[in-house]
Amino acid sequence: MAGNKGRGRAAYTFNIEAVGFGRGEKLPDVVLKPPPLFPDTDYKPVPLKAGEGEEYMLALKQELRETMKRMPYYLETPEEKPDIERYSKRYMKVYKEEWIPDWRRLPREMMPRKKYKTGPKPQKAKTTGKGASLTNTADVLKKIEELEKRGDGEKSDEENEEKEGSKEKSKEGDDDEDDDAAEQEEYDEEEQEEENDYINSYFEDGDDFGADSDDNMDEATY
Amino acid sequence: MTQAEIKLCSLLLQEHFGEIVEKIGVHLIRTGSQPLRVIAHDTGASLDQVKKALCVLIQHNLVIYQVHRRGVVEYEAQCSRVLRMLRYPRYIYTAKTLYSDTGELIVEELLLNGKMTMSAVVKKVADRLTETMEDGKTMDYSEVSNTFVRLADTHFVQRCPWVPVTENSDPGPPPPAPILVISEKDMYLVPKLSLIGKGKRRRSSDEDAAGEPKAKRPKHGTDHKEPIPDDGIYWQANLDRFHQHFRDQAIVSAVANRMDQTSSEIVRTMLRMSEITTPSSAPFTQPLSSNEIFRSLPVGYNVSKQVLDQYLTLLADDPLEFVGKSGDSGGGMYVINLHKALGSLATATLESVVQERFGSRCARIFRLVLQKKHLEQKQVEDFAMIPAKEAKDMLYKMLSENFMSLQEIPKTPDHAPSRTFYLYTVNILSAARMLLHRCYKSIANLIERRQFETKENKRLLEKSQRVEAILASMQATGAEDAQLQEIEEMITAPERQQLETLKRNVNKLDASEIQVDETIFLLESYIESTMKRQ
Repeated sequence: MAGNKGRGRAAYTFNIEAVGFGRGEKLPDVVLKPPPLFPDTDYKPVPLKAGEGEEYMLALKQELRETMKRMPYYLETPEEKPDIERYSKRYMKVYKEEWIPDWRRLPREMMPRKKYKTGPKPQKAKTTGKGASLTNTADVLKKIEELEKRGDGEKSDEENEEKEGSKEKSKEGDDDEDDDAAEQEEYDEEEQEEENDYINSYFEDGDDFGADSDDNMDEATY
Repeated sequence: MTQAEIKLCSLLLQEHFGEIVEKIGVHLIRTGSQPLRVIAHDTGASLDQVKKALCVLIQHNLVIYQVHRRGVVEYEAQCSRVLRMLRYPRYIYTAKTLYSDTGELIVEELLLNGKMTMSAVVKKVADRLTETMEDGKTMDYSEVSNTFVRLADTHFVQRCPWVPVTENSDPGPPPPAPILVISEKDMYLVPKLSLIGKGKRRRSSDEDAAGEPKAKRPKHGTDHKEPIPDDGIYWQANLDRFHQHFRDQAIVSAVANRMDQTSSEIVRTMLRMSEITTPSSAPFTQPLSSNEIFRSLPVGYNVSKQVLDQYLTLLADDPLEFVGKSGDSGGGMYVINLHKALGSLATATLESVVQERFGSRCARIFRLVLQKKHLEQKQVEDFAMIPAKEAKDMLYKMLSENFMSLQEIPKTPDHAPSRTFYLYTVNILSAARMLLHRCYKSIANLIERRQFETKENKRLLEKSQRVEAILASMQATGAEDAQLQEIEEMITAPERQQLETLKRNVNKLDASEIQVDETIFLLESYIESTMKRQ
């Protein structure tokens, strides 16, 4: 290669004088550690702007931060259940308004489908589930039967399977509420048939028992 | 999205919406457009949580959705919109200066809630204003409505796209997601509402409905007594219009600093006249004749036509080129060079940063290279009249921090270093980008430090809040001074000192965030304007 003057002799390919080191001078040591985390600055920063506008904006900022924490949009992380339920926790709960989005503006998959949900909020889940399905005015009786079966306290794989099954079906396109509910009911009956020896239709209409509680009920079905 | 931007978005989302929304939002920003199932699978969150988080993000215009083939809906996050959350105090303060308290509260409600219907905004703002008024006075809905209409007329609030009402003639399945449309002319159309009412105080006793325990309120919020007249028509704050206003403010204050008050008033008048005629991304405004400007000057400004002409000539001749002369008809046609103005402002920011970081000598070299475009090292030493060793040192420092760059010009085809010219140059666009990136990092650091400080003193803060609550309740029930004194002494003097220091530090950090955001605005506007012209 051109520029390789002496074999094996150290030679700079550029004019070392230009960079600032004289010929033959000892070059500075190679730095072997990362630069310091908080290096000293030669010039201290200029003080902040201080005026009426700036002060007002500062107060606004801090207020906004606090307000946002209280809005319904701030989703709290669900805590794990503590071993002992503290008495004071009941009284320290901050009341938050419920916010219901405008479902007409959102994709349909956003709507909560909580028919068989057995999560930490059983009451709300059930009411939403009931509310959505009761718009289907045709099969109120079937619904009551369903709820009774649910009151058996079987949160087992079958229910999860049903949930998954129903979700998949709904994703496939035709998502009529009727079809959905009917499919789930049929599926439901087939599955539940195996659990007990009693005829499902034997149950009387008026006895809507256990639908609100989520505990594992050991009572036998009648 | 750069790592710095993602980190900043993560901090902002967490502060304002909590951890669940932050997890989903950051995942979307990182990975782009994704459907619901994939998000749930990748983040490990439950489907229910993902749905709630997406609802919140869509409500606040931070995430948009699109229907793809086969009915799959994909969600995409808008990183730049998330970063706008830093600027909320500035938007609200601007609304206050332009439309006083009513306007301020309207904009605040719209920003806090993402989108709202006009009737909901008016009601809430009237209630809030009534709270602050003296006993017995209430705020009328009509006054709030008027301010709202004015905000819509000046384009500070705009309508959100909505679902077009189509005839339900096709019996096919409904689409998986509504397609939202909006037309230009409808964007600022205020619906004809007759909102009659007054604001209500929270503790008014004439409403028995207020006495009802809140738990009894129906879960489905649609059970209102009267139907909402403008159901489905949502409004949002128009951030672009605010940005236009900030840009105008920056230009006017720059002219005021460089020249005097009168010239800044002239420039302000010209900008105001072009608000409606010029789109915000145009490189320069529509030409305005000197006669028009004279007629539109604010009343009470006794500037004669000749003086105005002299000022305009002076402005047009200024090397900064904020104002340009585009013709001679009508007494002289003048335009404001928006793009050049933004460029000058960005350059001034860069110069100021160099000066504060490296010293005024460095700043001199920087300005020199800016002016002369390309300079060799020897030439820099000569022109700047700075000794060689120092000049070298400064040049290399600026080079290593990427304020400057090197341009190689080889003399021989083999690019031998000893036979190549190395010219120093400043590329404003890339230096601006570098500085913007640093600003994002700075704000992320500031927020982290503030959170750290607050967490360190959490125990003390909670204690002081409890004491204040006790004091307030005791004062309400009429306690004696001695008792109040005792309660106050629950916080010892060193603790008070600590609280004072904490408050001062947090204020300083918050104020710094606001100021860095101003720099971010200037740099972003310049970069955007440059990219649009290419």
